Amino acid sequence: MKIAIIQFPGSNCEYDALHVLKNVFRQDTHLVWHKDFNSGDFDAVILPGGFSYGDHLRAGVIAAYSPAMRHVREMAAEGKPVLGICNGFQILIESKLLDGALLQNNCLTFVCKWVNLRVETTRTPFTKFINESSILRIPIAHKEGRYVNTRRRIKELYDNDQIVFKYVDENGFESSDSNPNGSMDNIAGICNLDGNVVGLMPHPERASETILSPYKTEHGRLIFESLIKYFNGGR
Amino acid sequence: MKEYTVEVVIESKPYAKDPEGMTIMRDLMHKTGYERVNSVRTGKFLRIKVSAENGEEAKNYVVKMINDLRIYNPVAHTYSIVLKESTG
Amino acid sequence: MTFIDGVKVNLTEEEVEKAKTLLGRDPNQVEAGMIDVMWSEHCSYKSSKPFLKQLPKEGPRVLVGPGMDAGVIDINDGDVVVFKVETHNHPSAIEPYNGAATGIGGIVRDILCMGARPIALFDNLRFGKLRSNHSKWLFEYVVKGISDYGNCIGVPTVGGDVEFDDSYENNCLVNVGCIGLARREEIALSVAKNIGDILILMGGSTGRDGIHGVTFASRVLTEESEADRPAVQIGDPFTKKLIIEATLEALKTGYVTGLKDLGGGGLTCAASEMSGAGGTGVEIDLDKVFLREENMIPYEIMISESQERMLFVVKPEGVDKITRIFDKYELSYSIIGRVDGSQKVNVYKNGQLVAQVPSRMLSDPPVLNRPVKRPSYIDQLAEVSAPPTPLNLADVVYKLVGSPNLASKAWVYRQYDHEVGDRTVIKPGQADAAVLRILGKNKAIAAKSDATPSHSYLDPYNGGAGALAESCRNIAVTGAEPLAWVDCLSFGNPENPEVLWCFNETIKGLTDYALKLNIPCIGGNVSFYNEDQVSARVVKPCPVVLTVGLIEDCSYITTMSFKQPGDRILMIGLTYREMGGSEYYTFYHNIQGGRAPVVNLDLEAVTLKTVLKAVRTGKISAAHDCFRGGIAVSLIEMGMENNLSASVNLDGLSDLDLKFDELLFSESHSRYILTTREEYLNDIIEIFTQNNIPVKEIGVVTDSGRFEFEYKNRRVSCSMSKLRKLYYETIPKYMGVTEWMK
Repeated sequence: MKIAIIQFPGSNCEYDALHVLKNVFRQDTHLVWHKDFNSGDFDAVILPGGFSYGDHLRAGVIAAYSPAMRHVREMAAEGKPVLGICNGFQILIESKLLDGALLQNNCLTFVCKWVNLRVETTRTPFTKFINESSILRIPIAHKEGRYVNTRRRIKELYDNDQIVFKYVDENGFESSDSNPNGSMDNIAGICNLDGNVVGLMPHPERASETILSPYKTEHGRLIFESLIKYFNGGR
Repeated sequence: MKEYTVEVVIESKPYAKDPEGMTIMRDLMHKTGYERVNSVRTGKFLRIKVSAENGEEAKNYVVKMINDLRIYNPVAHTYSIVLKESTG
Repeated sequence: MTFIDGVKVNLTEEEVEKAKTLLGRDPNQVEAGMIDVMWSEHCSYKSSKPFLKQLPKEGPRVLVGPGMDAGVIDINDGDVVVFKVETHNHPSAIEPYNGAATGIGGIVRDILCMGARPIALFDNLRFGKLRSNHSKWLFEYVVKGISDYGNCIGVPTVGGDVEFDDSYENNCLVNVGCIGLARREEIALSVAKNIGDILILMGGSTGRDGIHGVTFASRVLTEESEADRPAVQIGDPFTKKLIIEATLEALKTGYVTGLKDLGGGGLTCAASEMSGAGGTGVEIDLDKVFLREENMIPYEIMISESQERMLFVVKPEGVDKITRIFDKYELSYSIIGRVDGSQKVNVYKNGQLVAQVPSRMLSDPPVLNRPVKRPSYIDQLAEVSAPPTPLNLADVVYKLVGSPNLASKAWVYRQYDHEVGDRTVIKPGQADAAVLRILGKNKAIAAKSDATPSHSYLDPYNGGAGALAESCRNIAVTGAEPLAWVDCLSFGNPENPEVLWCFNETIKGLTDYALKLNIPCIGGNVSFYNEDQVSARVVKPCPVVLTVGLIEDCSYITTMSFKQPGDRILMIGLTYREMGGSEYYTFYHNIQGGRAPVVNLDLEAVTLKTVLKAVRTGKISAAHDCFRGGIAVSLIEMGMENNLSASVNLDGLSDLDLKFDELLFSESHSRYILTTREEYLNDIIEIFTQNNIPVKEIGVVTDSGRFEFEYKNRRVSCSMSKLRKLYYETIPKYMGVTEWMK
């Protein structure tokens, strides 16, 4: 499997994702400058976190016009796995590859903390090998992560099994206390209709080694491992 | 008293850099072909509804308030203020 | 104020005469501006230099010491760490958001221009009391400025401190520190040593930013009014992020022979310091400088402090390759000149030579020997009679835990991305210092920046020694051996001999403990003139020390939180009647006075080494420096993360007959609190008794929901849930936040 991580001007989590995929999982992973990105020989693509174009105007909106996104769109259409983490999720939303909007957190400030995520579906390459309803401890770090959509579209997301992660408490229950940014229905991550394009606000690449976790967990691993198993014949 | 709408625009001083406006112009507008855009300045917009005896008083009230509450910082920003017609 | 060629300069008559002698003629307008800015206190350190000489600067790990943009130390295996702390006090006091943001921008450039990737930020902030709306405004926007800038450039903000004191009401202090990581061979220097090399100015455009400090005589006044001038610099973290990546990529080509950021003193400083250090000269063509504003005159271009600019010295054959990298990141740049052998900074505009000043005259300005005088208030304040012991000490404990100085700063650090980079092993709130791993190796660095101005105010010597001691203790408890430190000293007006006496005492204190522990100072920054313009009130002297230590094996890493009920609690060190400057005196009793804690240099050093040895046995489950708020608050802090409490007996912790309040709240140095499992207890105690360090088992970690302190058959008992509420909610409440996260 050959994985691309696209660097947009202002991306800042690309080296973290590269470290995890390359050094922790020993995968053939490449950083690609957004202007040089060509979908051709990549099997999967990651849009990393950061502040592409300084988050100016709206997080992700300017990067959505990068020529790289044409190729990402092609890969998405071909059914290849596409993962957007944090700013990457914002770019997928602004590119209309995923539906909805990510607005400023309810508390109006940036929030960096560890949260609990519940896995809502195992139909995506990134969750296929995680038990449904597992609770994952993964940190968030964003200012514009409040997921918003129309009620009707949210219902469709449920109907089509497009909600991938939700913010929950330690026991797996949705509550307003466990919702760090005010997202509708505690939504932390969603996918497209086909399930191959996934975006989430939390950072699995920061939670893939026990040394980095205050809880000595490595739940972020599960997301990348799932992708690897998916390619190793587990589709 | 009537209700008046007062609109306040706060932006960086004219000669100060505006990195956000610059990025929007250069990386979004120009790159997508909107090359005739010569300048973009960003700012904050506040539409304030305020009760007052007359328009002049409404405007003065808002000016005093945005100064008192440091709604803009005179060291870094300028503001412009427009009184809309009475709404109440 | 003096005038040269119609330009108002902040130089004395003597300095102006000296400048004329060195130049051999009267300086013109442009030269006057260049001399003025380079001989200013900010760039020249002219008042502080004679005192700073005392500091020990050498050691086997020091690769670059003071004098460069940042110091560099060796952390084995070819890895090096670059670090520095600076202030951005005055800009932040008038425009907190951009002032703090550009403070981060400046310190990051200092690290970057040494060739290192910035990997961590620190902030030590001082404001007036939070009951003041002005202080709240400064606090909110300084934090927001640091958050927006640091988060955007992808450098985690991992540590620091915040304190509130009336003396900072109008003159807040914003100290920002940065650590960078590089390979030894990647270190770049701010030097132009090869004649013929090309000067490339890269990054932001040049405007009239930062020229507000200097006013013009009528002859050079341009058309627009003063109000139209941008008085503050605007931070541009997006451009900075591109500059970081482009600079590191450019350095990898091997064509860059020197590199310097443009900060205070702008182009003048970069050009003169690089050519001064290289023994060369430079020619600069101002027509090539990329300007943002119209009709800028040479004077303005040479001293502009516009943000986000770097000056590269590049081998002629590498210019194409380097500029292609800048093109990739879509950064502006221009070739503005070349290195020559003139030993002068030669400035051209429209083909005319408009300034010609010897480089070293600018880069190595004359120092001043200002007088010092011991202030009379020092002795007066020391003689304060002890207040009566309050009847309800539990209430005092609650009040202190809920004091803004001691309460949790989560409201601040939740706004900072402290995880980006995948290095942050110990995060804010988990221990006394941040720990960052070195990727791909089984080692880590620990770092913490500290200051205790309330102690410094009463006793500058012990305040200085104490700041270094505290910062070393804070990293030792995580398992790190302190290697080197940098300082950042904020004081009042150096022309006041009493201020300068305090400054000198601070340096003496820092020097003495540094020599005792044998760790060098590898850089620093001095900020004078921190005074409230209105009340002429001087800030409490604030020596910030950032120490970096090495953890040679990641299994040593230890945090401060209680891990499990039943763990035994050990108190290391003795408590003295040292109440001056304590939070108990200043916050609870509102007393500004008393005797500040004294650093017993020998005991402090040997205790630190012994604690480090104990932590590195792997048998210590939690380790914490016992300092601000005394034993009571330090113990309670250990219980917060895991919601565990403790039951302790405090008999026998002092040679003196202390009162209960003194024992609970004294802030004596050389004290630590450790926990260990029962089966390791004797082993650990043995380590301390062998080295004649006072050690006593004081109690046990519990999950009873109550903190119990016993002394001479008296008991103080506090509810954990109430303590947690006060600890976590005090600052958010002041800031009007209801929705927030621990």
